Amino acid sequence: MSSLEFRDVGVTFGFGPGALRAVDGVNLQVPDGTVVGLVGESGSGKSTLARAAVGLAPLTTGSITVDGTPIPRRGTRPVQMIFQDPVAALDPRMTIGASLGEALAVAGVRGRRDRGRQIGRLLEQVHLDPELAVRPPAALSGGQRQRVALARALAAEPKVMIADEITSALDVSVQGAVLNLIRELRRDLGLSMLFISHNLAVVRYVSDLIAVMYLGRIVEIAPTEQLINDPQHPYTRLLLSTAPRLGATLSAGRLPDGVRDVEPADPHDPPTGCSFHPRCPVGPAVDPGRTDCVTDDPFLSIDERPHRAACLYAGRHSLRKDPA
Amino acid sequence: MSAANDHVDASVDSTAKDAAPSSGKPVSGRRSRLAMLFATPVGIAAITADLLVILLAVFGPIIWGTRAETNDFDNLDSGPISGHPFGTDKLGRDILARVLVAARLSIGLALSATLIGIVVGVLIGTMANLAGRRLSRVFSTFIGIAVAFPGLLLALFFAVIFGAGPTGAVLALGAAMAPGFARLTQTLSASVVGRDFVSAAKVLGVSRLRVLTRHVVPNIAEPLIVNATLAAGSCLLAFAGLSFLGLGVQLPSYDWGRMLAEGLNAIYTNPMAALGPALAIVLSGLAFNLTGELGAQLAGRRTTRGRRRQRGAADGSDDQRAPGAGGLPAAADTPSSDAVLVVRNLRVSVRTDGGTIEPVRGVDLTVRAGEAVGIVGESGSGKSLTALSIAGLTHEPLEVTADELWFDELDLRSAIGRRGRAQLGTSLSLVFQDPMSSLNPTMRVGDQLAEVATEHQHLSWKNARERAVSRLRDVRIAAPGRRARQLPHEWSGGMRQRAMIGMGLMGEPKLLIADEPTTALDVTVQQQVLELLESTKQQSGAALLLISHDLSVVSSVCDRVVVMYAGRIVEELPTADLEHARHPYTKALLRAVPSMDTPREEPLATIAGRPPDPASLPVGCPFAPRCPRADDRCRVEPALLPVAGRRALGLAACHHPHLDPVSESGVSIVDISKVGAPGIGETR
Ligand SMILES: Nc1ncnc2c1ncn2[C@@H]1O[C@H](COP(=O)(O)OP(=O)(O)OP(=O)(O)O)[C@@H](O)[C@H]1O
Ligand code: SF4
Ligand code: SF4
Ligand SMILES: [Mg+2]
Repeated sequence: MSSLEFRDVGVTFGFGPGALRAVDGVNLQVPDGTVVGLVGESGSGKSTLARAAVGLAPLTTGSITVDGTPIPRRGTRPVQMIFQDPVAALDPRMTIGASLGEALAVAGVRGRRDRGRQIGRLLEQVHLDPELAVRPPAALSGGQRQRVALARALAAEPKVMIADEITSALDVSVQGAVLNLIRELRRDLGLSMLFISHNLAVVRYVSDLIAVMYLGRIVEIAPTEQLINDPQHPYTRLLLSTAPRLGATLSAGRLPDGVRDVEPADPHDPPTGCSFHPRCPVGPAVDPGRTDCVTDDPFLSIDERPHRAACLYAGRHSLRKDPA
Repeated sequence: MSAANDHVDASVDSTAKDAAPSSGKPVSGRRSRLAMLFATPVGIAAITADLLVILLAVFGPIIWGTRAETNDFDNLDSGPISGHPFGTDKLGRDILARVLVAARLSIGLALSATLIGIVVGVLIGTMANLAGRRLSRVFSTFIGIAVAFPGLLLALFFAVIFGAGPTGAVLALGAAMAPGFARLTQTLSASVVGRDFVSAAKVLGVSRLRVLTRHVVPNIAEPLIVNATLAAGSCLLAFAGLSFLGLGVQLPSYDWGRMLAEGLNAIYTNPMAALGPALAIVLSGLAFNLTGELGAQLAGRRTTRGRRRQRGAADGSDDQRAPGAGGLPAAADTPSSDAVLVVRNLRVSVRTDGGTIEPVRGVDLTVRAGEAVGIVGESGSGKSLTALSIAGLTHEPLEVTADELWFDELDLRSAIGRRGRAQLGTSLSLVFQDPMSSLNPTMRVGDQLAEVATEHQHLSWKNARERAVSRLRDVRIAAPGRRARQLPHEWSGGMRQRAMIGMGLMGEPKLLIADEPTTALDVTVQQQVLELLESTKQQSGAALLLISHDLSVVSSVCDRVVVMYAGRIVEELPTADLEHARHPYTKALLRAVPSMDTPREEPLATIAGRPPDPASLPVGCPFAPRCPRADDRCRVEPALLPVAGRRALGLAACHHPHLDPVSESGVSIVDISKVGAPGIGETR
């Protein structure tokens, strides 16, 4: 019933020659009751897209809607967000209960008694002891704080939740419990969620669909198993091959010489044509015949391809293509 | 199952915390620090001075009011005489009494002006951050311009506009102080407004006013109050100045500035007429400043306390040597010839308010030439401190001891001379998580590399530059000649990390220590850096000590993995045996971290509780509160002992290690004597 939809969303920071298109014409849907994972390298615009959805970043173009209604820029948003840093997530001067109470008050829960009960319920929902309500955030561990942040977001009864790198600052032994909680809430509450992480294994574990972002654009989106087992876009393949795996040697992810040490692109000055072309393991840097990658924008012809991956050669190459 | 697991997790979390010092301690710690501060000379002076000033302002006019207005016509314009210790003025009124009475007006006016300055400043300053986009810009520009004017000039300007008189002067000084406070508030609140909890409140729909009063102001109050107190002191002086110039208090009222002006006319007949009010101004100004100072110290203490833990790790430039272990003489036998690094019983301790804690509690480690060893552990497990103490990069509050600390036949424990340190300089190199903090932002990258060679290899500048460029080429920087002339900020994170590795290669390193070298990098760039570390190791023959929280990163590069928990090594095993880890912690860690093959239908295995705080370690095995195998025996901390593995011998510190039944493994337990697993199970 609640789906979040991005239509042709663009976010530009700055003006003139210094302008930066952090998000560039993104179309993305988070269907009801679905977790959509968003992966991409640092600076690809994942957080900016998320912040735009909760009204923290201004849209330059396009629209973001929940069930067809544009997101209000003020008041309680139907989309709530949880942030990366567990330390900054909670006001250090407010107790856990006060933070949750504030959210409840905004959501229209009046009366001390009522609020107290709801605070207890919310804490239990995220598997925390309700007695923690009187504690300051400093007394909680990172994992506990992230759960409080989750509870605070739940207090607003959002239609869609956005989680931006919520486990990347946590200890690995604590991360698992938070991921389980996310899956459980989704099952019990039917939450729709946009789950952002740079960790492909984490995204794979919680998401039904995965979208891959590169330089402000979504270059591929597919159901999780399909994206992992049969990636179409060379960048997706690159991400998969370089994701560290236990027991795998480095050589598994080794790239052809022409692109091995190429630097990530400058977002202020994105490459022409396919913006991935200087680093593409099957692109013009390795296969000089593919000059159209330098000139043609693969997004223009995306509807003509069955895979909807933003690559002119999607479905026609293997990553480990031998040059020459 | 997940719910049950999580519940356990949560309850263990909270019970564990009850035992931890974090719950109750900060309050009492703060209180005792406060008490301590008040016992310092500054504290005592500030409090006494404050008390005097307040009492004077409140009771001065009541006690000495009539006396100050009584004319003693026998003694007009007299110097100090009995009955009039400061003398009298033209109308024969007692100057001392008048100074004391004037305190209320002088201080009251100064405080009013400060109050106006703060309120206006804070309002403008927060508006600049919280108002809409366009309005914010207007406010910021306004503040920028206003701050550029000299304050006193501004005050004079306003004093003329508002007209001579106390109201005018108060308004003028308030207006002159406002821009400074606005700028301060703007900067302070900008850092708060950018924090996630403010964003969260906005998204929740909390009103702007509430965001301001509940979230922003309380979090900037501390520095604001400190600054306000200091400002009140200077305001007192400025007000006296305005009155002195005739722009402030008008007759028949009088404040210290006014009295100073009058007294100055009679300076030759009665110097006390001028000195009296001057003294009052100086003393009460001092009281304000002392209070501000005290506040600043209080605030400062709190922040340094919070940061202490990170110190040292961030700063790689200081090569201050850790004090070697006293007492124990070096073992007579030098380490076997192919070991580059031998560490025995390395301990790092730090003295805190709550007693001495020991974040590293007896680490034994051997790294052989050309070998790659990985240390994994969660935050606080002591892995970085282990690396830093090996490299001698620990700082003051940390104390390092070891029974043995050999690097390449060099005893690092004894105070080594210049020559030894120079040798260490290039034979042991370090790469940190954040290359930006290890590179000098104002110096060209190439020059920074070259500097290493001029200092340690005594190359000429020209030769050193050439070597720098060639090393940058080795670490696969494209166009190294041009790139060498750039500043660090012009390089990407991955390039800076490669530059650090290149810097480590300027000499002929025997050991490369890399502490979380790829944690800040994307996976694609991480792959590049790891490949580089591997090929560097192969080409230079240097050994590698790679520290990471990520088991898969370590396993992709290293031959051997060392797992740390609560300041100790709990397991050491060949990478190939990782799947068959013996220690419950390693085992749990491997299952708790999702991999690309984790079944998505099942909940992740969780580890209940959280890593222990070094300040309050549990008795016995530190993993016991979280360990499913824990029993009574675990009340005694287990030693790190050899345990047979599938491929080779490993070490584990556990009373009940996981041992595969021989039938299941299909491999008979290896013959310990024949397997030369490097550094494992070695008893010397
Ligand atoms: N307020 C801002 N002003 C100017 N540029 C910005 C701002 N916020 C983000 N950017 C830029 O927009 C681009 C996208 O940033 P964003 O934070 O969305 O990336 P990300 O994918 O979330 O990266 P990460 O994985 O590091 O979190 C980056 O180049 C970033 O520098
Ligand atoms: S369009 Fe060309 S350069 Fe871009 S991803 Fe496809 S093959 Fe690579
Ligand atoms: S010693 Fe006991 S508590 Fe510690 S890891 Fe082994 S079984 Fe668990
Ligand atoms: Mg981000």
